Amino acid sequence: MVEIKNLTKYYGHKAAVKNISFTIEDNEILGFLGPNGAGKSTTLNIISGVIPSTSGTVVINGFDIAQDPIKAKRCIGFLPEIPPVYPDMKVKEYLNFAAGLKGVPSVKRKVQVQRAMERLRITDVSNRLIRNLSKGYRQRVGFAQALINDPPILILDEPTVGLDPTQLIEVRNLILDLKRDHSIILSSHILSEISAVCDRVVVINKGEVQAIDTINNLEESSQANIVLKLKIQGNSRDVTKTASQVEGVIRVSNVTFIKTGIYTYNVEIASKDVRNSLLSALLMKKLEVLEITEEKKSLEQVFVNLINNSGNKKSSLEKLLEEMNSEDSTENNSEKNTNSDSKPDDKNKADKEEEQ
Amino acid sequence: MFALYKKELQSYFLSPAAYVVLAFFTLTFSLTMIMGISGASANLYEFSFSSIFYSNLFYLIFTLPLLTMRSFSEERKNGTEVMLLSSPVSVTKIVLAKFLATSTIFLIMMLVVMFHPIVTAINGKIILSRLICTFIGFYLCGLVYIALGILISSFTESILLSIVLSEALILLLILVDNLSNFSLFSSAPILSDLFDWLSNQKKFYTFSRGLFRVSDLIGYITEIFVFVIWTIISVEKRRWSRR
Repeated sequence: MVEIKNLTKYYGHKAAVKNISFTIEDNEILGFLGPNGAGKSTTLNIISGVIPSTSGTVVINGFDIAQDPIKAKRCIGFLPEIPPVYPDMKVKEYLNFAAGLKGVPSVKRKVQVQRAMERLRITDVSNRLIRNLSKGYRQRVGFAQALINDPPILILDEPTVGLDPTQLIEVRNLILDLKRDHSIILSSHILSEISAVCDRVVVINKGEVQAIDTINNLEESSQANIVLKLKIQGNSRDVTKTASQVEGVIRVSNVTFIKTGIYTYNVEIASKDVRNSLLSALLMKKLEVLEITEEKKSLEQVFVNLINNSGNKKSSLEKLLEEMNSEDSTENNSEKNTNSDSKPDDKNKADKEEEQ
Repeated sequence: MFALYKKELQSYFLSPAAYVVLAFFTLTFSLTMIMGISGASANLYEFSFSSIFYSNLFYLIFTLPLLTMRSFSEERKNGTEVMLLSSPVSVTKIVLAKFLATSTIFLIMMLVVMFHPIVTAINGKIILSRLICTFIGFYLCGLVYIALGILISSFTESILLSIVLSEALILLLILVDNLSNFSLFSSAPILSDLFDWLSNQKKFYTFSRGLFRVSDLIGYITEIFVFVIWTIISVEKRRWSRR
């Protein structure tokens, strides 16, 4: 268990982290969420004892990180943002060193190294130089280093950066598997990552905690009205008129043309009970409902709301949107790569043709 | 701590640095030795290993920074410093492990060049007490430079800057020796004594004559301690100000 109380960190006069308090229970995965520069890494670095705090305490399994650093550090495995690997070493050598550094007795060292390599699936690269490994493999070697001495608490700073989708799922499963006998604190700005594995979420922005809750509670609490997305065959004016007349419907908006006679509508309703009366009203008018989906507020919206509500200026929202775009772009990377590969070829061809 | 020491030692041989330094040191030592022997034309020729060690003291300016340049600079550059600081090892132990590992490399360097005195001893006569004292003096002087080099490396992230700064400061440390002879300082006996006490060359000189003076030993050890403790403070200080 990790208890963080009133943690504050100043860099000069600038506060990076202000009065943060939360606890990480045993066998729990805590998500640590916030835009870039929110103070995530600073907080994690303080928890793992890399940097001291200006004020406040971090107690790890009963040991204060400032008073009793050696004992406290024995309980944690830390994976920093940049995997802390020595490029000149081989994977196995490196993990052996990490085990020694973390005080694994030499008798157990071989077994522990083997186990960590199997868990992260890096056994096949065990005799390769870390310098020659790809980003994803380096990340996993760094992860293996964090759990080499089987610490009860794992602190993972963006563990899935640079992993391909299959590795991502593997690491996600590994984290869920580790949950059985570890408490894990996981930071990320990728929201789907957090919602996939975490039990509770701490949302942080500009060094301050915005919310601490379970994902479900966060989603429900900020969900005022339900938005239904309907795809209906029929005259759009009829549909709008009929829908607006139903009691409980707040607004019909975003009418989009799909093809002749078929439109999609966003209908905002006050509660779930309105849905049936809305549907029956539409069917009475012989309008054919082709599709109905409920627009659930995702964690992303919750996140945006939380950060907007805290009275922040536009700039942070813009940053956030940029981040979301960059997330999309990472997902589309594979496509882009193929495109960019083909483009130069085309250019070359064009050049050659011109020469001819 | 032993794991870190072992890794440091290993890393010297994973990169060409240790080999280059070892080769360069052997080369300069052998060359000075050859030059020393080639001067032996007359029947009455005094030839001593002390003078060879003495000239090699200056070559250390260029070789030892090559050993110490990476110790903290590279840790910081690779982001591995975070791993060391988050592991259950105190900063003191981290600094000591690095210092001891570099000292071991330097010891290996010196053991390799011991080849010359051994061959000389087989074919001729050697004053053992003088050789041993020179060896100790030379080693201690090298340790001072190593401690200084590691300190400089803890200041900066750039390896190049670390080399240049260490070389400049070691040179400065050697130049301090001559300061005590300046008429300006010799007129003030306290300053003169101070520089005299700081002088590494003078300490080495006593050692090289086969004299083992405790004051010189303490002088060297104090310098080493100051630099090592300063390194510990420097690393701790960076912990407080790092982002």
